[in-house]
Amino acid sequence: MIGADAFPMLEARDLLRRIGRGPDAFVLSVDHFALRPGEITAILGPNGSGKTTLLRVLAGDPQAEGAGSVRIASGRVTLVAQRPLAFAGSVAHNASVGLLGQGIARAERDDRVGAALERFGIGGLARHDARTLSGGELRRLALARAFVIEPSVLLLDEPFDDLDAEGQRRLSLDLLRAVRETGVALAVVTHDLSRALLLADRIAVLAGGRIAQAGPRDEVLARPTTPAIARLVGMTNLAPGRVVAQGDGVVEIELDSGHVVAGAAMLPVGAQVWIGIRPEHLKLDVARGGGRAIGSARVETLLDDGLVTVVALALAGRSFTTHLLSGRGLAKHLRAGDAIDVGVVPEQVHVRMLDEPHGL
Amino acid sequence: MTDVAAAELAEISLRTLRVSGTALVIAVVLGVPAAIALGTRRFTGRGLLVTAVNAGMGAPPVVVGLGVAMLLWRSGPFGGLSLMYSVTAMVAAQVLIALPLVVGITLAAVGALDDDWHLQVRTLGVPRGIRLWLLVREIRMGLLAAVLAALGGILSEVGAVQMVGGNLVGETRVLSTAILMNTGMGRFDTALGLAAVLLGLTFLLAGLLTAVQQGGRPR
Repeated sequence: MIGADAFPMLEARDLLRRIGRGPDAFVLSVDHFALRPGEITAILGPNGSGKTTLLRVLAGDPQAEGAGSVRIASGRVTLVAQRPLAFAGSVAHNASVGLLGQGIARAERDDRVGAALERFGIGGLARHDARTLSGGELRRLALARAFVIEPSVLLLDEPFDDLDAEGQRRLSLDLLRAVRETGVALAVVTHDLSRALLLADRIAVLAGGRIAQAGPRDEVLARPTTPAIARLVGMTNLAPGRVVAQGDGVVEIELDSGHVVAGAAMLPVGAQVWIGIRPEHLKLDVARGGGRAIGSARVETLLDDGLVTVVALALAGRSFTTHLLSGRGLAKHLRAGDAIDVGVVPEQVHVRMLDEPHGL
Repeated sequence: MTDVAAAELAEISLRTLRVSGTALVIAVVLGVPAAIALGTRRFTGRGLLVTAVNAGMGAPPVVVGLGVAMLLWRSGPFGGLSLMYSVTAMVAAQVLIALPLVVGITLAAVGALDDDWHLQVRTLGVPRGIRLWLLVREIRMGLLAAVLAALGGILSEVGAVQMVGGNLVGETRVLSTAILMNTGMGRFDTALGLAAVLLGLTFLLAGLLTAVQQGGRPR
């Protein structure tokens, strides 16, 4: 990561793109969007929020033309679509497509193609017919083909689709290394939050064709601006409430159920707020140092994948979740129906003023 | 057949190949770029052009022949060129028959490309000329199908070439018109021999093109 201070390699302003007509038309409206060299921006959003449309507008797709400007500081913007293409011919030919007709000597072209294929682990397939590749190999080929032209900006639309967990993990690592080595400014659209968190330096959340929130990854994760964004970035424990006391940078929030949650915030008494707590921050067994108590919860279900046990709790008339390491401590003993004290560290409670409609 | 008949047969066969081959080359040279333009660009009147192409694919050759004959007739707009009953007139008629087939089938091949093909190639920075070459590579199976269909359509076509060529011995007689004439005269042996040659030519050319087509299919 070069840093947020680096000059943008791509900067879009006042984008406006309408798809369809009448009241059902979809409108992409983005005031500002920037990608910086060496930085990975994950674009998140629900289905139909305009993620792919935004990528296409940034890529200069003539069929996605609209108002606004997309400025590139230098170099080329390239896009890898959700369904990667195999052109007729060998894998090596496919990877070399972007170098054809550029006055690049054959030997240099071969070197660059070979290096790009090796970078994505498909060097041994160079002579294979590209149309015989598996889905995962084809995705790697599409990335190699994009990197071979040394773009300054790379746009990836759902690059992990159809890959198994191991394939996703390996491709993520290869991609991360390639971005760090080349300094390309990368935007990646993904519906997979774990991939986004693994890769992203920054997160942009799209909702209804607008960028609802954008910023450094940890900031968006810790301080989502709306409940909808909170859910999207995995902050699933949400509830509305009212500030009933405040002091020393901590407010006490009374939930509808009468439970009180302490959160680190500076808000006036009486303020209507919503709180968000990430599952990994909701503590069980308060007596052993689990933060400030909220109250007693009932265990509804336990889902154990062998690594993590997801515990669903009924608390304050709502369903909350927390994560435990499987096979250890409480995770070994908890059963559905058990009652357990729940707490949270005030600094790990996200508190925001409640705007209507909040959807909680 | 006698030696003289054999010589005449060779001459007719060669003329058939020359007329249909020339018409096919012209139709491909004009039709493929037109189909690519129709398939890759959006402009006013495009829908009308595509409809015209589709209609042209099913147009009866004899009607095409009638149209060309009216144009080339002495009192027609091109009557001054004195092209009626010439090989040129036959080529013109066959180009008009082959062109919609070449454009229509090539257009379908371009349309069958993945929606993102053009965007992907464009964002890789591929220059226009190379893009065209890549496109032709992608649709080459469809192109061969277009050539095969057009060749089949004009090689055995008789109505239009009879009308504008006149079946003049030593000048405009081709296999299909010779078969028609001999059948009309009750010379079925000769007509059958000519038909066998026409069928042989058709199978030979179709076989050659199919071999190329199958050879290029990804395995």
